[in-house]
Amino acid sequence: MKCETVQENLVLLIYGELADDARFQIENHLQDCSECTREWQAVRQFHAQASSLPALEPTPNLLAASRLRLHEALDTTEQSRGWRFIFDPIVWLRQMRFSPALAASILIIGFTAGTLTMWDVMHGNLRPSPTGVINPASSQASIAAISGISQEPGTNKVQIKYDTVQQQSTQGSLDDPKIQQLLLYAARNQQNPGVRVESMDLLTKRCGDPRVREALIYALRYDKNPGVRLKAVDGLQSYVKNDVRVRDAGVEALLYDANQGVRIAAIHMLQPVKADGSVRAAFRQLASKDSNAFIRRESQRMLASEANID
Amino acid sequence: MPAEMVLHLRVGARVHQHTGFAGELEGESGPLATPPMRGQMVSQALSRLDDSVLIREAQRGNRAAFEELVRQYDQAVLRLALRLTASEHDAQDIYQEAFLKAYRSLGNFRFECSFYTWIYRIVTNLCLDHLRKKKVRKEDAGVVVNDEGSEYSLLDQVEDERSGANPERDLMRRELGKKIGLALKRLTPRERTVFELKHYQGLKLRTIGEMLETTEETAKNTLFRATQKLRGALAEMR
Repeated sequence: MKCETVQENLVLLIYGELADDARFQIENHLQDCSECTREWQAVRQFHAQASSLPALEPTPNLLAASRLRLHEALDTTEQSRGWRFIFDPIVWLRQMRFSPALAASILIIGFTAGTLTMWDVMHGNLRPSPTGVINPASSQASIAAISGISQEPGTNKVQIKYDTVQQQSTQGSLDDPKIQQLLLYAARNQQNPGVRVESMDLLTKRCGDPRVREALIYALRYDKNPGVRLKAVDGLQSYVKNDVRVRDAGVEALLYDANQGVRIAAIHMLQPVKADGSVRAAFRQLASKDSNAFIRRESQRMLASEANID
Repeated sequence: MPAEMVLHLRVGARVHQHTGFAGELEGESGPLATPPMRGQMVSQALSRLDDSVLIREAQRGNRAAFEELVRQYDQAVLRLALRLTASEHDAQDIYQEAFLKAYRSLGNFRFECSFYTWIYRIVTNLCLDHLRKKKVRKEDAGVVVNDEGSEYSLLDQVEDERSGANPERDLMRRELGKKIGLALKRLTPRERTVFELKHYQGLKLRTIGEMLETTEETAKNTLFRATQKLRGALAEMR
């Protein structure tokens, strides 16, 4: 290490501001260099002289007087708060605690606003929305799809066209055409099998209607839910003799339905028409090679009873 | 001293004496300065913890919490202001202005540095402004103007345990004090402040750099220049 560098660092050495390795190097250098050792002695002497001017404490009187003066000044000083304290709930609570008048005011304003709102609603004074786009009724509907978005050129106004789905309810007798139409629609509701079962149950009571029978046949052939298909079998039972399409749907279910319960129900459904050629052909096929033993036996029983009658 | 005892004493000091900075003060200065003891470090951590609770309370408008913070640091603040301005009146003004400024802007304190660094930064800036405005002053660092305008020596306020036993030594100390006071007047306000913070307040150069919003390297260079000037001035006075 050069003497110049060492002498520049002697001040840092005496104030304890050197890292261990630098201090070690300088201390080693001082052992061998008389010029730097003289400089080191001079620095130490200066340090001792400067330290002889004591770091004095302020007098107790001065401190007390300063505290008192500050205490008085704080009474008239506003504390500026950072933006985050606007949202600080503890500050709000403290404000409420120390400001009962403010708390009472908020309560009165809230009560008045609530009363006025109820008055408006009860007297049908709902004003149109200032935007003129979404009215209160449509605001309760859920948005089904956005069909178009366009912006007026040169402005920040945007026009959005959308479809809404709004929940409504209605009531009436089973003879009401509107109710029947809704039930037929419900029978094909693909979302909720429970709704299909309920509607099927009600529709079976009015199976004389060709539209209802159509819906039941459709359900027996295509509905994914076996419970719904069972209901359709029940509903179609009384028409199997007179309607060939019902008979065909029953045979189809008997042969191909994935659910064994539906197939067994179809056997009972077709019992009145077991003499029919297509039905007998189906029973023969099942009696000889169906994988389900019960269906084989039932089919054989149907064929045997028919033979006895003959 | 066992570490636990140091801890106990430091915590006690916060309550009864409010001696102020428990932060990055050096244990002692000199080439063989010992590193801070474990107990001291624990007390520093406790001090920071206590401060942050008090600061948050004060930020929410709790005046008592702010006054507790003031009592912890105000003696050190007043001492620094008194030494740099050499006037009780000016020191009191700086004390007042520093804490009012801290109170007003405490809501913006982001805990990016310790509270003592923050308040010391305010005080040193006020002192620097004061020193720049009053470059030429009659009194030296060893003589203080009290509220009545009359001068008295700071050295008169010190009780030397050997005072009276050796009047000659006492006189020599007074002479040396005057010389150092005159030498300090030759420094620029910034050099004067850095030397004061390092030599008399015992702060780390890194902390001094933070307070003066500069780098540690700049603080080192300023300290080096200050000591060179002071040595030169004292040599001339022999």
